[in-house]
Amino acid sequence: MSYTKKPTRKSGRKRDKWTDILPRYLTFISHMRPILRETRKIINDLDADLLIDTEIIDKIREEEEKRNIRKVRALSEFSAMYRSNVYEIIKDFIIKYRGTIPIIDIKDYIIEFLHESIGALYILRHITNPDQKNLDDTYLYSLSKYIEERLFPKGANLRMIYEKLLKFSNEYYECQRHLLQSHTYYREKLDVSDSFEIPGISPKIYQIINNITSLFNLDPSFGVFPERPDREIPMILKSEVFLPYIDSIANAEEESIENLAERIGMRLIDDLFLAPKEEFVSILEENNYLRTKKQSDGIIRYFPQFSNETLILHYLAFVSQRRGFLSKELINWVSMNFAFLIYMGILKWKLSDENIFYSIFKDLQTNEKILPYLMKLICFPNYLGLDKMKIRDSVQYRKEIFNFIGSQIDNLKELIDEVALFCEKFDKERKKK
Amino acid sequence: MGERIDSSWRDLLQSFEKGLELAIDQVQKRDVENIPGAKDALVQRLENMKLHFPRNNGDLFNKAVNEKIQNFFFPKTKNFSEAFSKILKSRTHEQDFIINELLNGFVTSKTKAIASGTQTPIIDRMVEAFSKRNDFHIVDHQFYAMFGDPNKPRHYIKNQLEELINMFGLVSKKLVVEKDVRRSEEKVYTFYTFPDDIIKILEEKYLVLDSKLGYAYVSENFDRNVFICMFLANIAINSDDIEKIGGSYTINGICAIFALVLLLSFMPKLSVDETNPILNDPGYDESNMSVIPKSWMMRQVLEPLFEPLIKIIAYRLGGGLWLSKVIDSEINKKIHNQIRFLLKDVNKWVLGELVRVEIPIFVEIANIFAEIVVGYDKE
Repeated sequence: MSYTKKPTRKSGRKRDKWTDILPRYLTFISHMRPILRETRKIINDLDADLLIDTEIIDKIREEEEKRNIRKVRALSEFSAMYRSNVYEIIKDFIIKYRGTIPIIDIKDYIIEFLHESIGALYILRHITNPDQKNLDDTYLYSLSKYIEERLFPKGANLRMIYEKLLKFSNEYYECQRHLLQSHTYYREKLDVSDSFEIPGISPKIYQIINNITSLFNLDPSFGVFPERPDREIPMILKSEVFLPYIDSIANAEEESIENLAERIGMRLIDDLFLAPKEEFVSILEENNYLRTKKQSDGIIRYFPQFSNETLILHYLAFVSQRRGFLSKELINWVSMNFAFLIYMGILKWKLSDENIFYSIFKDLQTNEKILPYLMKLICFPNYLGLDKMKIRDSVQYRKEIFNFIGSQIDNLKELIDEVALFCEKFDKERKKK
Repeated sequence: MGERIDSSWRDLLQSFEKGLELAIDQVQKRDVENIPGAKDALVQRLENMKLHFPRNNGDLFNKAVNEKIQNFFFPKTKNFSEAFSKILKSRTHEQDFIINELLNGFVTSKTKAIASGTQTPIIDRMVEAFSKRNDFHIVDHQFYAMFGDPNKPRHYIKNQLEELINMFGLVSKKLVVEKDVRRSEEKVYTFYTFPDDIIKILEEKYLVLDSKLGYAYVSENFDRNVFICMFLANIAINSDDIEKIGGSYTINGICAIFALVLLLSFMPKLSVDETNPILNDPGYDESNMSVIPKSWMMRQVLEPLFEPLIKIIAYRLGGGLWLSKVIDSEINKKIHNQIRFLLKDVNKWVLGELVRVEIPIFVEIANIFAEIVVGYDKE
């Protein structure tokens, strides 16, 4: 008998099909909804006067907990935690308002809040079709396309993507920029020699891009446009960009300037100057970021007039166009933001602002059960088309990125409001069909 | 003593004058402006500054630095809660803008210097940590879980925590558990929160106390700027104790930021031709933005003005003690160059023109200058 080693499969690599990930996404949601429905039924059947005594709520909860028959430990633990949170919130709400609001109204409020939450979970449960048919008719597809169009559009070429981004930059520039600024930038490598991986923008890179924008606007040199010798393009000295940095703190960035330049539509000329690439020159010209002036010698000179977003949007367009080559950090960050916007948009649409159960939906423990799978679903080819294998499964990492959900930017909140409005509109149109 | 102080002040004013001369010279030499008359307006403004700033023993600086910057950011008091309350009350939406863009950048880099292993925005995480609990405390092990590095010994992160606590002026309370459930050993938990009198101030807007449930929630308004106000209040009351406020690093950083604010405030607004494309750009809002000469951002113009101005701010805010801590080495000049890009979106580029977002502190400082110039014309 010969001993042959069985091939080992890497954990986390086995569940990569749509039919594997969708059930994982639905698992926890399908356990949350019955708990809320049971609770709603119990509260509904309960005489309102009995609610005044919170001990009754405690006893009901104890009874409900006894009914737990689920075999999978993670699920039963989650259900217990979820139920306990729901009852705790109901109890706090009663204690807080029983002196000021009639108990019958309190009961109505609780039932209403539960009803809204069940509605939100219903949408999350039916976010897409398991067989991916009639995609246009699903929330996941429509919402991801709605957000994609604004922040991460697809297009036949870079120019088209840039134009699309520019169309929404007045409203959502901060969100567009946010999508590039992964909070785990410190794990990024600026230059991976054996692949074309594109990282996000670290604070230092952002500062350098600002620097480049300023130098172009202030006092650029001019040199022959290599592809069109009758024209001159603006260029700046590479060394001047890095002049303010002491103690080699921007050494890594300086060494990978060629890669960075490509991402912002620039190129290195004679290893000394940074100048816009031919393709970018025409995009800049079309959008008034370059103006032309005929010199006395007949040569046409391009004068730069960049805005804050000129180069950043090129970076984003470049990332969007080459979305198959994004770094692990950037893929996780982009898909996390999309998942977050979709999730929060649905909650905003379905739950009223004063809903007492909002906190459970926003809780890290709930987020980490839903968002990672939503992130993977969004990565499939019909949606963002990112490499879902790069989505991390480590709990520590999830904590790290989800922690930033709380520190969201105002512009992101505005987009969530818009997503909620879109959900409502989409739902109405869907019902009409 | 009095004479010595006067002579220092006089020297500072003179060096600023010299800086202005150099800046004017640079502006004259190079023309980077697209808007007709922009260069002349800038030269005129710099000439005016040269004329008016030294007058009345530099009274213009007293008004701009002591009456505006100090009032908004470093109120003159020795009482921590009073300082905090004043800074917090000067918060407006626009004021937050500058705190966010400038001071947050500085405080973040400082906290990073303290907790260098973590590299994550610590203030945001602190806000999160307070928001996640309903007793308005954070516990030491919560901090270790957030920022701990498994490759470094525990005492390392303990020291970092101590430094952060001191930097923001938080207070600690210890809870001793005689027998811990797992090992039946004594366990000491350290809780950190804001001082009682600060909590009272926060109750007005940032904290919701629920007496029925005994909970203390943070409201939606509780944000990183509350921590930055604590940081500023700490500097305000300990301005004569350099060690307590973080040494020369803090002084140099803070003074450089306000030097930049001052310079930005003094730059003249330009009127643009109605056909200028900037007026149609969606990123430009005429109601709260104005175009200023872009030569202002040139290193050659900014450099000779920046250094004396940092010293002037240091002298006005912290006297000779702060002045002695300003480092004017070549390396620091390069760092100043970096600081001008700290302004990020406060002054943005729109179609190649430098645009100032008119937030109150800029307007108020600019008004002082306008008043003085007008007054002088009348004389």
